[in-house]
Amino acid sequence: MSHALDLSAPNQAASWRRRFLQPLMRQRSAVVGLVIILAYVFAALFAPWLATHDPTAQDLGAALQGPSAAHWLGTDSFGQDLYSRLLYGAQLALIIGFASVALGLVVGVAIGLAAGLIGGRTEWVLMRIVDGLLAFPELILAMAFMAVLGLGTENLVYALALSFVGPFARMTRGDVLQVKSQPYIEAARLMGVPTLAIIWRHVLPNVVSPILVQAGMRVSIAILLESGLSFLGIGVVPPTPDWGLMIAEGRGFITIAPWISGIPGVALAILLVALNLLGDGLRDAFDPNTQKDA
Amino acid sequence: MNETIFSLLDVERVYTLAATGWFRRKTRQLKALDGVRLELKRGDTLALVGESGSGKSTLIRLMLGLEPASDGRVLYGQHDLAHLDGEARKRFAREVAFIYQNARGSMNPRRRIADILAEPIRLHCLCEEQAIPARLEALINRVGLPAGLLQRFPGELSGGQVRRIAIARALAAEPKVIMADESVAGLDVSVQAQVLNLLRDLCRESGITLVFITHDLGVASYLCEKIAVLYLGRIVEQGPTQDILTAPRHPYTKALLQAFPRFDAPLCASLKGEIPSPINLPKGCRFAGRCAQVQPACLEVDPPLTLLTPERQVACLFPVENPQ
Amino acid sequence: MNQVSVLAQSTLGESNTEASLLAVRDFSLRRKQATVLDRITLCLNPGETLGLIGESGAGKSTLAMALIGLLRAPEVEIEGSLCFRDTELTALKEADFRRLRGNKIGLIFQDATAALNPCFTVGKQIAEPLKRHLGLSATACRERAVDLMQSVGIPEPRLRLDAYPHELSGGMQQRVMIAIALACNPELLLADEPTSALDVTIQAQIMTLILDRVRALNSSAIFVLHDLALGAQVCDRIAVMYAGQIVEEGPSRRVLDTPLHPYTQGLKSCVVELGMPTLTPIPGQIPPLDAMPSGCRFAPRCPKAQAICSEQRPELQTRDERQVACWFID
Repeated sequence: MSHALDLSAPNQAASWRRRFLQPLMRQRSAVVGLVIILAYVFAALFAPWLATHDPTAQDLGAALQGPSAAHWLGTDSFGQDLYSRLLYGAQLALIIGFASVALGLVVGVAIGLAAGLIGGRTEWVLMRIVDGLLAFPELILAMAFMAVLGLGTENLVYALALSFVGPFARMTRGDVLQVKSQPYIEAARLMGVPTLAIIWRHVLPNVVSPILVQAGMRVSIAILLESGLSFLGIGVVPPTPDWGLMIAEGRGFITIAPWISGIPGVALAILLVALNLLGDGLRDAFDPNTQKDA
Repeated sequence: MNETIFSLLDVERVYTLAATGWFRRKTRQLKALDGVRLELKRGDTLALVGESGSGKSTLIRLMLGLEPASDGRVLYGQHDLAHLDGEARKRFAREVAFIYQNARGSMNPRRRIADILAEPIRLHCLCEEQAIPARLEALINRVGLPAGLLQRFPGELSGGQVRRIAIARALAAEPKVIMADESVAGLDVSVQAQVLNLLRDLCRESGITLVFITHDLGVASYLCEKIAVLYLGRIVEQGPTQDILTAPRHPYTKALLQAFPRFDAPLCASLKGEIPSPINLPKGCRFAGRCAQVQPACLEVDPPLTLLTPERQVACLFPVENPQ
Repeated sequence: MNQVSVLAQSTLGESNTEASLLAVRDFSLRRKQATVLDRITLCLNPGETLGLIGESGAGKSTLAMALIGLLRAPEVEIEGSLCFRDTELTALKEADFRRLRGNKIGLIFQDATAALNPCFTVGKQIAEPLKRHLGLSATACRERAVDLMQSVGIPEPRLRLDAYPHELSGGMQQRVMIAIALACNPELLLADEPTSALDVTIQAQIMTLILDRVRALNSSAIFVLHDLALGAQVCDRIAVMYAGQIVEEGPSRRVLDTPLHPYTQGLKSCVVELGMPTLTPIPGQIPPLDAMPSGCRFAPRCPKAQAICSEQRPELQTRDERQVACWFID
């Protein structure tokens, strides 16, 4: 009989902490990233209260001014307050980033699941479609979709989501195939567990974790892409407060008013770095190899 | 009167391998099982013993319905396993439990032991939801493990503990038949002894029918009252374990016994040569190539499993006489 | 219960330490605060076969790896002496060890499939130690490889020279490993579970082969085994290990017919033999490496344990032609 084991039953919450939170907290850089992201989220959430002006209110008399008491971060060429536009820009970036990844994930995982579980001709057809999607670089693909759908925030989300479907589908299918061949799936079938229950209880939980980590890392790609598209003028429509758009608008005034492009650029860069730090930290925290040494 | 639970009638399992040669004319056949006849009655404890390529794992998969027989019939009670309808299939899943060799792999690594054990109970609606925790505790104590393990994940348990949880899960559905594939291989002797004692007690107390795959004759003799020795897909000898292990009649069984490490016997390389490949077996007895007492007739005729005494069967044209 | 007086220096049976092939004295190995091997003392004479028997976690593979220099500082801390002929192995540099391995000390591992390089033919792998240590020419190597393959019972050796490992069966691969190990006529053969992965009839063949070749070359052999009965069949002497310590050591027949140490007795009553009426498992579990009890490491599970067992570790004492580490030998 085993006496050497700890006989106390750890409760659920403690176990969650032990398995997920602690490994994450141990990565210092990930914590830094998390803090920065939380600051941005806070800014985005409370933008209506933190902003000093209406982000789209133009005041041509106060255009191209540097930071001052009235406009904390200055104004752009239309006299719009940069500080307020920055806050609302954070809102937009985070919304587009998370929404497009979420949408792409749902569709991509569904396709990958169907391909991996059904197999046969269905799998072949689905994966060839995915191959087609993956053949194009994401930016080009998004541009193509925007050309078809037209400009605007909503279409931007759809376009980006569509270009994420490919990677998610491929990854999900690979994981599903690997999980399908595990003995516990066959054991469940032998016991008589119905197929849907097997998918829900046994396949999905084992497939979902690496995908969620990937999804977190994709958010930074999504934000970068949307800023890029807006910069190129095929993203959101002006006067929407979007960082990429703001950088584009400030291009012509770099020498006289560098803060118009500079401030949104710096904000974007810091957010992306923070997202990447957190993503790396998540990946390392859930990687069984690093977990063992910790 | 002892009812027959399983009957296998001249069961074959053939895999056709990729055709080779020009124009893809040469096909190769792998006969994993050939002419298997087996009858299992309620309360029997049967050991399936064999080396690599013997087909013992394939046989169990056929009996579980995981693979279809290429020829012959596998009967569970009165039903042919190949034609089970939904109701019968559900009943079968409940009454026949399987313990995998890879016990840890047969459990979802992301579910707690409590959920793993409760799954068959909930599936077959064996008791009220409130009664389940008490049931789980009784179950885990039955296999000699503390209730604290219920909240752990399979990855946190040792090899011996995981094997015992696999046994507990097999017991959870209150089956009539338990099949196990090498459930004690690779364990330390002390842990192995614990698991063997557990299985033996279970069989004695609840009269469960047990089919146990092992390559270890000692384990077979400890656990099971009947033994079936397989070689290259055929049962070459079958009958009461004690009789067969003290007085084997098939030359392969005899060689196996001699090669098995024992305290009271010296090292004996009883068999020459390698185990041949089951692909495209030659004519005649499959053991003829390595048999110490091969005769010309053995190369022509493939002996089927025949009755020697009412309880013993042998597949040999010239069974070992005056065995010692 | 008699408390036998502890001898200050353990005598090693009838062996003459002067002529011994391998002398291990108070050898300890520590890895990250855990004492994996605790003052091992052993002796091997020329022409003898010694079995290191124990369950998992006993440290037998660790000892084998330390013997051939695969475990060295700074990953581990070593104390004590390992003497092969007149060479002190603990002080040997890696370059000198390389001259020993495959040459004077042959190695056989458990998993031949993993130990053989899948990219090279079998002939090349057998020829490698010949070329390296004996400096034979390519043709001479090939000839010798054919002879070696014949001696280990590989049929049609000339044809098999150019075969790749995956084209051979498990038993054949293990024979190739034996040929490689014996290529340079080593004085000591180290075999770590050489037949655990094989079927029982093949196991008997391979073990018989190894013993034949070892006797023919007049070498000594150390077998690391977990199978007690196999140890009895194959080894002249046996050292039973538990938790990094040797608990009983002596002629295999003696030790296994009438075991004196409670652990050996417990092991014997757990081993499934044909026709055995009942098995009595040893209660408890081997403690984790970093939480070893002080005193006798087997005390927590021992039916004969008394107060002194957890205070002081018993030394090996000679009793009835063997060495036993226990305070209470009847």
